[in-house]
Amino acid sequence: MNLELRNIEKSFGDKKVLTGVSFRAEGGKAFGLLGRNGAGKTTSIRILMDVFPADGGEVLVDGHPIDYGKIGIGYLPEERGLYPKKIIIDQLTYFAQLKGMERRDAVRSIDHWLERLGMTEYRGKRLDTLSKGNQQKIQLITALAHDPDIVILDEPFSGLDPVNAMLLKDVVKEQIGKGKIVLFSSHQMSYIEEFCDSIAILNKGVVALHGDLRDIKRDYPRDRLVVRSLTPDAIRKDFGSSCSESEDGSLMIRLSDPAEKKAVMTRLAENYDIDEVKVFEPSLNDIFVEYAGDAPKEE
Amino acid sequence: MKQFGTILGFELKYYLKNKVFIGVTIFLVILIAGVMFFPRISSLFEKNETPDSEIPSDSSRAVMLIKEEDPAMADMVRQAFSASFMNYDVRITDSDVDAIRDEITIGAADCAFVLRGLTDFTYYVNNLSMYDMNAATASETLRQLNQMNAMIGSGISPEDAASLMNLEIKSEVESLGKDQMQNFFYTYIMIFALYMVILLYGQMVATNVATEKSSRAMEVLITSAKPTSMMFGKVIASCLAGLLQLVAVFGSALLFYNLNKPYWGGNMIIGSIFNIPAGLLLYMLLFFILGFLMYAFMFGAVGSTASKLEDINTSVMPITMLFIIAFIVVIMSMTTGNVDTPLMKACSFIPFTSPMSMFTRIAMSTVPWYEIALSIAILIGSTVAVGVLAAKIYRVGVLMYGTTPKIGNILKAVFQSKNPSTGS
Repeated sequence: MNLELRNIEKSFGDKKVLTGVSFRAEGGKAFGLLGRNGAGKTTSIRILMDVFPADGGEVLVDGHPIDYGKIGIGYLPEERGLYPKKIIIDQLTYFAQLKGMERRDAVRSIDHWLERLGMTEYRGKRLDTLSKGNQQKIQLITALAHDPDIVILDEPFSGLDPVNAMLLKDVVKEQIGKGKIVLFSSHQMSYIEEFCDSIAILNKGVVALHGDLRDIKRDYPRDRLVVRSLTPDAIRKDFGSSCSESEDGSLMIRLSDPAEKKAVMTRLAENYDIDEVKVFEPSLNDIFVEYAGDAPKEE
Repeated sequence: MKQFGTILGFELKYYLKNKVFIGVTIFLVILIAGVMFFPRISSLFEKNETPDSEIPSDSSRAVMLIKEEDPAMADMVRQAFSASFMNYDVRITDSDVDAIRDEITIGAADCAFVLRGLTDFTYYVNNLSMYDMNAATASETLRQLNQMNAMIGSGISPEDAASLMNLEIKSEVESLGKDQMQNFFYTYIMIFALYMVILLYGQMVATNVATEKSSRAMEVLITSAKPTSMMFGKVIASCLAGLLQLVAVFGSALLFYNLNKPYWGGNMIIGSIFNIPAGLLLYMLLFFILGFLMYAFMFGAVGSTASKLEDINTSVMPITMLFIIAFIVVIMSMTTGNVDTPLMKACSFIPFTSPMSMFTRIAMSTVPWYEIALSIAILIGSTVAVGVLAAKIYRVGVLMYGTTPKIGNILKAVFQSKNPSTGS
């Protein structure tokens, strides 16, 4: 199964929010939708979920316009919130029923999830008696209880302690393992880097970068070497202005031509006490800053 | 449709499980029970304490002093006043005016009439009550005395004069259309119930929507259910809850009244309240449902535009004002007795005012069937239109956080999203 947004256009009043937004997410893989605040992520998600129609473009599943009656979507919104004064099992059942589940199936599935997330003891309690992290877990159940085909998680890790974050990671991996389309939206690049095979970066309503994360990294010019050594000063003297020191103490040597790589590596290995030499690959953070920054990069 | 049912059930359960809702309903039923059982209970006490005296004993009656200069007249005046003021112990006094004033001030007497002949008097009382009719009664008594004296003076025997003065006229009134004496009270009660329920539940719908928005439960709801299902489910659930409450209150009133009917005896007002024609009850139901839905949709739409619960009161103000004006127009024309004024006629075709004004006209006057049909048709049409528009405003409104948007901007957004050029 795959999900594709094709040339989505959207304006609110005179303000153009999305311009020709296209991206594609595959089943069994996680997809990262990135962008700064106000870049159009939430609008894209809402169009994808049919909260409001796009002005132009299509939402396709396996090449056909999406049928919301058949394709289930689970959504963990960035703005968290359920009914604070209502009993947890009541409201979870309600949300699952709204998604089309029969009452009995809904209760069974919710009980399963409550147990999976270690929340069974809170089943009959009011939501506002729970801690923030536990409320988050309840909210996660609203996104997963009806076993959706597409899972959309907006900032899923914010507000979770490391133990709960681990629990959520397991759940996400399990969902990916079931062949679902998992769509992440987050500013925490480390999680995206850990889960997502492909990404799209939105910048001011335009897709600035889209594709497989490994390909994106590989496509970067391989003209920098990261060097760890016990004698950095000698190396810096040797390489002069093409060598700079990074924050973590390692050295970065800029090559005038990627083809020089082998020669430079040999030279380093023969002359100095080297711990590690590798070609520099930008982190997702670097890529994000580059593409989601103020000026969209033209390729 | 299934989604609508789920929402309706969930929202209805919210009302029926709500402690305030249950509490208020029970309180009203008990209150009504108290009122309806009151004559029975008070008759029990009366029987036990004062077995067969209708007029309170002399000692407990209020004291009325009469000062009449002419001793020949004094006794006649006392007799006449005793007959007119059954509740007073009427006494003749010789004290001067200052002494009478003192007696009243210290409470030894309750009131006094100082007569100067049979055509001139001063009435003294400590605190003049709003309902004190004693001076008027005294005038009437003295007028009759004068007439009696005149008749006797011209040769009619005192017995004939007395029977002439007390001649009884038999009369019957037959109203060919509606009888406002009969229907005023129940129309008033029904209009007032309509007013209270719509205003209360309208506010609840608005608050309910605004709470979902401010708690961000909306984020999940709006992505799970169609805004039309949400809006109609919510509003119809509150309508059912309101109806249920009305039925509970009026039903128990009717039940308790029938249990205590003998004790209410000939009380005209209470009797007329429970003498509502069945056809009128059906109109009441129809106008209640339509009026309720119309206003609840508007309240819901406004609730969706408020970002904070605190904003609700100011946001719903225009709707509340509109509704109060409709209410005042109806009540004013009801009290003047003419419910067919041009204003009322116009109001009975305007959907925002027709639930109350057309109902009042049907109840208190004779309205041609085609006017009723037209009014109901307009009301149904506009209720559906308002419902659909409210659902659209809701969809746009609930996702607008921050400052409360202007109504113009919302409508612009609503109509913009109404012509989607997308295929999906």
